[in-house]
Amino acid sequence: MKLTREIIQPKNPKLNVSKNFNLPHSPGVKVGDFIFLSGMVSIDPETGERALGTVASETRQILTNMSHMLESAGSSLANIVKVNVFLYNMLEFENMNAVYREFFPSAPPARTTCGVQLTGGLKIEIECVALA
Amino acid sequence: MTLHREVLEPPMPGFDMRKEYGHHQSVAIRAGGLIYISGLLPINPETGEREHGTVTSETKRIFENLKILLEANGSSLDRIVQIHAMIYDRIEYDVLNRMYRNYVPHMPPARTVWSVQLEAGFKVQLDVVAAA
Repeated sequence: MKLTREIIQPKNPKLNVSKNFNLPHSPGVKVGDFIFLSGMVSIDPETGERALGTVASETRQILTNMSHMLESAGSSLANIVKVNVFLYNMLEFENMNAVYREFFPSAPPARTTCGVQLTGGLKIEIECVALA
Repeated sequence: MTLHREVLEPPMPGFDMRKEYGHHQSVAIRAGGLIYISGLLPINPETGEREHGTVTSETKRIFENLKILLEANGSSLDRIVQIHAMIYDRIEYDVLNRMYRNYVPHMPPARTVWSVQLEAGFKVQLDVVAAA
């Protein structure tokens, strides 16, 4: 059986980062019953600009936007299977983890975290795979 | 949602990074015939104690744990689909490969190696997707 492949768009156009910043990726791709989201960084949903802050504030903004992104595609945070977290410095792990846990009150997704160099002075990037 | 999302239980107490270290994540999630596993680190599967060592010893410990986790859930090392192998320094690439090839000798999974910063001074982390 050949699976269908469909591009995911956020309902709020300000959160369509790849389009607004002219980047060569889609916000997400739905294939079969899975949704693969591109790595998300902290974006102000009212202005569409990067919202630089602390690891805690950026984590909160990203997961709020990720919720919107998944709900735009008929899914939700509760349907996430796997999360990859990229931090600018692993010493900030707990600052991410503490905010992160508020968004997944039960049965949290599988998750991998590592420290990498990010662009634009951002401190954290998060990507996920979810069920549609 | 057509597919079911199932949290896999830790096969041995040491696998529970949520309980041992407060990491807000499940050990693994099964969905759509795939198993998505949280980033695996070299921990003692019985006690959860961190077992820092060389890239060789850490890779060995992680694969032994991965084998336990997969086999406890009806899968196995030869059903792995994709691995993101993360090491602390690119210079250890060949050292990783020497131990790695012992565990996936035939038709090895798709793989990407990243040089990243890992938590708690670890040298290796494996991020794995396997067929259930």
